[in-house]
Amino acid sequence: MLKRLTMTSVLVFGLGVAAASADPAKVMIPANPGGGWDGAGRHTMAAFAQSKIFTDGASFTNKGGAAGTIGLAEFVRTAKGDDNALLVTGVIMVGGVITNKTPVSLADTTPLLRLTNEYNAIAVPANSPIKTPQDFIAALKADPSALSVGGGSAGGADHVMLALLAKQAGAPVSKINFVSFSGGEILAALGGGKIKAAISGASEFRQFAESGRIRIIAVSGPARVDGINAPTLKESGIPVEIGNWRGFVGAPGMSEGAKKLWLERFAKLHETPAWKETLKTQGWEDAYLPGDKFNAFLKEEEANWTSALKEVGILK
Amino acid sequence: MMDILNQLIGGFAVALQPMNLFWAFIGCALGTAVGVLPGIGPALTIALLLPVTAQVNPASAFIMFAGVLYGALYGGSTTSILLNTPGESGSVMTAIEGNRMARKGRGAAALATAAIGSFVAGTIGTLALTFLAPAIAELAFVFGPEDYFALMVLSFTSVAVVMGRSLVRGFAALFFGLALGTIGIDTQTGQTRMVFGMLELLDGVSFTVVLVALFAIGETLYVASRPASAPAAINPLSGGHWMTRQDWARSWKPWLRGSVIGFPIGALPAGGTEIPTFLSYALERRLSKHPEEFGHGAIEGVAGPEAANNAAAAGILVPLLTLGLPSTATAAVLLAAFQNYGLQPGPMLFATNPDLLWGLIASLYIGNLILLILNLPLVGIWVRLLLIPRHYIYGGIVVFALVGVWGLSTSWIDLALMCGLGLIGYVARVYDFPIAPVLIGLILGPQAEIQLRRALAVSQDDWSVLVGTPISASLLAIAALLLTLPPLLAWRRRRAGSAEVQPASAG
Amino acid sequence: MPGAEETQSRGRQSRPWWLGLALAIMGALWLNGARGISSTTNYIGLGPAAIVLAVGLGLTILGVLLILQALRGDFRAVDDEAEAPPSRSAFLLALAGVAVPLLTMRWLGFPLTAMLAFALVTHAFGSRRSALDLAIGFALGSTAWFGFSRLGISLGGFLPLIG
Repeated sequence: MLKRLTMTSVLVFGLGVAAASADPAKVMIPANPGGGWDGAGRHTMAAFAQSKIFTDGASFTNKGGAAGTIGLAEFVRTAKGDDNALLVTGVIMVGGVITNKTPVSLADTTPLLRLTNEYNAIAVPANSPIKTPQDFIAALKADPSALSVGGGSAGGADHVMLALLAKQAGAPVSKINFVSFSGGEILAALGGGKIKAAISGASEFRQFAESGRIRIIAVSGPARVDGINAPTLKESGIPVEIGNWRGFVGAPGMSEGAKKLWLERFAKLHETPAWKETLKTQGWEDAYLPGDKFNAFLKEEEANWTSALKEVGILK
Repeated sequence: MMDILNQLIGGFAVALQPMNLFWAFIGCALGTAVGVLPGIGPALTIALLLPVTAQVNPASAFIMFAGVLYGALYGGSTTSILLNTPGESGSVMTAIEGNRMARKGRGAAALATAAIGSFVAGTIGTLALTFLAPAIAELAFVFGPEDYFALMVLSFTSVAVVMGRSLVRGFAALFFGLALGTIGIDTQTGQTRMVFGMLELLDGVSFTVVLVALFAIGETLYVASRPASAPAAINPLSGGHWMTRQDWARSWKPWLRGSVIGFPIGALPAGGTEIPTFLSYALERRLSKHPEEFGHGAIEGVAGPEAANNAAAAGILVPLLTLGLPSTATAAVLLAAFQNYGLQPGPMLFATNPDLLWGLIASLYIGNLILLILNLPLVGIWVRLLLIPRHYIYGGIVVFALVGVWGLSTSWIDLALMCGLGLIGYVARVYDFPIAPVLIGLILGPQAEIQLRRALAVSQDDWSVLVGTPISASLLAIAALLLTLPPLLAWRRRRAGSAEVQPASAG
Repeated sequence: MPGAEETQSRGRQSRPWWLGLALAIMGALWLNGARGISSTTNYIGLGPAAIVLAVGLGLTILGVLLILQALRGDFRAVDDEAEAPPSRSAFLLALAGVAVPLLTMRWLGFPLTAMLAFALVTHAFGSRRSALDLAIGFALGSTAWFGFSRLGISLGGFLPLIG
């Protein structure tokens, strides 16, 4: 029995790695298979293997729910001090920790780096009178309740972005009309003119914009997005920048040496063509931000989200 | 038209390559297997197979995925019928009549009508996908929140026919399901509701857990506790083991009607595969010449819903392939697979990668055929599974239930829910509460609420919007008719009946 | 004849008023929960609490109706199968099989838990070949565990106690 057990576990964990001494990474994915975090975790580890930077393989645990905070809690509980345990994380988890008031937070882990970002876009139906970001702000200012804006779940990046825009417009955040959608429904609702505007990931809108059903009027990143003919909010004079970033943290109490080793591996990965190809096929923006800078960024995000969630009324 | 035919022929040339046939077969077999297991559906399976996209060419991969998608629906009916434990949410309605048939020894006929109905509907759905997809896809833009709400209301009326013998108990079951549906974060406002401080409940009670608990666990506890009455429950082959002439005569219309209901609803972004099965079951019950058999194993009640969910599965591919719009979890995973190849489904893809798309569509025809060939002989084997000693069957059911529940989330709370809801499922059986209303409430309740609140948000609290479109107004009118007409007719019949009977009895 | 059956079953079923009570309590729980859901800043009339309130009301009313029905004795329970005398010990064994994972899943892992659950359920159904049942259960459980691992899903540790 024991022999079968070890043999199979090599098969399972090694995934083609012959050496029995391999020390595979244990990657916790705080979401169900098939979603954004799942892709981030699996594609990153695949790129590691492909570029021969880290060839010991990886085992994945999917533990979805509650904006990733269930996976986070499980990770903090089970991976303590494990130098090879990684957790996929992102902006949604930062928001989830705040809204769900979870006992554990990212501060309990060993933050490693931010790796990718997917910026948001604002889109309107093709025949909408709203043509520029300024038009959108003006409409918000005139009557925020009359401007129904679709997006993902309440309290997510889309909702917070609308709140920030309302603030810029000088409109009361409590009066914004945010309509939550899931999956592809938002595109159908926008294309059919059921809602006046929508905020979602830029890449989700791209194809509908190309076929002329909807119009993208702005993107939320620091720079324009390839293939999307729309200005950034910043260059339109609206200082709002928000994106769905993803990255990795290590186990609580990960040793200094292991942390350095992983950061070196990620630094190498960031330079490889395999990684650039992954970014392209997945439609991710490069948002490499390692080590201490990532720590500072996390603190900043937490503060921003806490105040934004208070203003939209989700956090009391 | 000619153009489409030519391209379809080109597609068959791709799909009939031996290698692709092999992948189609693997997909179908795998799909059937996961369909049988409760809790493991096509979405999860395809998600787990995503890594093969790194090694296999896109046409082969999608041909396999399509096999998984269809195969899961074929497999899902098997456990519903034989063991009263649906493997997928789309098979819940199948269990109602199908399991009754199996208990009477007509399991093989039920399995056969499910398999053939799935084939008929899958083929009709694929034909519609081939020739009507662009037109049907436009429906996505026509339907607004108020129309969806009306569709949900209409679907809710199907509860009326699964109420069982007591209205109070039927409504109790419905409200229990609705109550379960309110648990979790409200997506529209981000407020938590009824989670009792448990993080695990924030995303709501998993539908799989409820399904597995109420059916599989409840059934196991019930059968275990009544050793004397149970042997009648497994009687694989009494009274004919194949579909009789009469079965065929009673099945073909439900197959066609199920297909017609299933395909367009499946093609709607918020349609799904469950709603068509509810509607189809309700419709068949109303149209049947043998309404008295419903609840005791009416074959129409198996043929219709099974056809409906397969046609809906073809419908799901419509918005995905023509618009790049994922409407269900399965479609979302398929979209991720396209992206792994650097492809974006949509009108452009038909121009740039016709081989891939038409190969995929052609493979749907082939996959359906493979599944029929695979499943009809399996009917005999499945039915013989019931000859396995009963204690091993139910022991196995519990282990598979554990796999489904624990495998989804590895969450202790889910195990506890399974145990608690299993007990409730047992109590429901003992005191004759119907189970289907619980699931209808759990599936439709949250969706109806979301669509209603979306409609009201967009209209800024103007309730007249609910009847503001022709679609919503007519759907609601049909729902109102369905609710008021039968009692009215019954009342008239009673009056007429008593008028006729009285003289006779007097004489 | 039906009348005789009714009294007989009523005697044994002993008027399940507690079912109605349980439903009413659940209703009360939901009504109370609805109070706790803040109406937020969302301006539309139908907030997140509305459905919870409606469901709570419905459950409470139905609960009361069930109690009344049970007390009046017109809670006609159950089809013929339930008329067979229930076996309490078999039921408790099967329930133990369903509940045992709550205790063991985290400590003993999936394969051993599946083994225990399988054996308990088979014994509830009258099997007495404990060793064989345990073996089959373990085989089923470990097959599932390995199968899932191959697919990239972890069902937890194989034997968490050993690590």
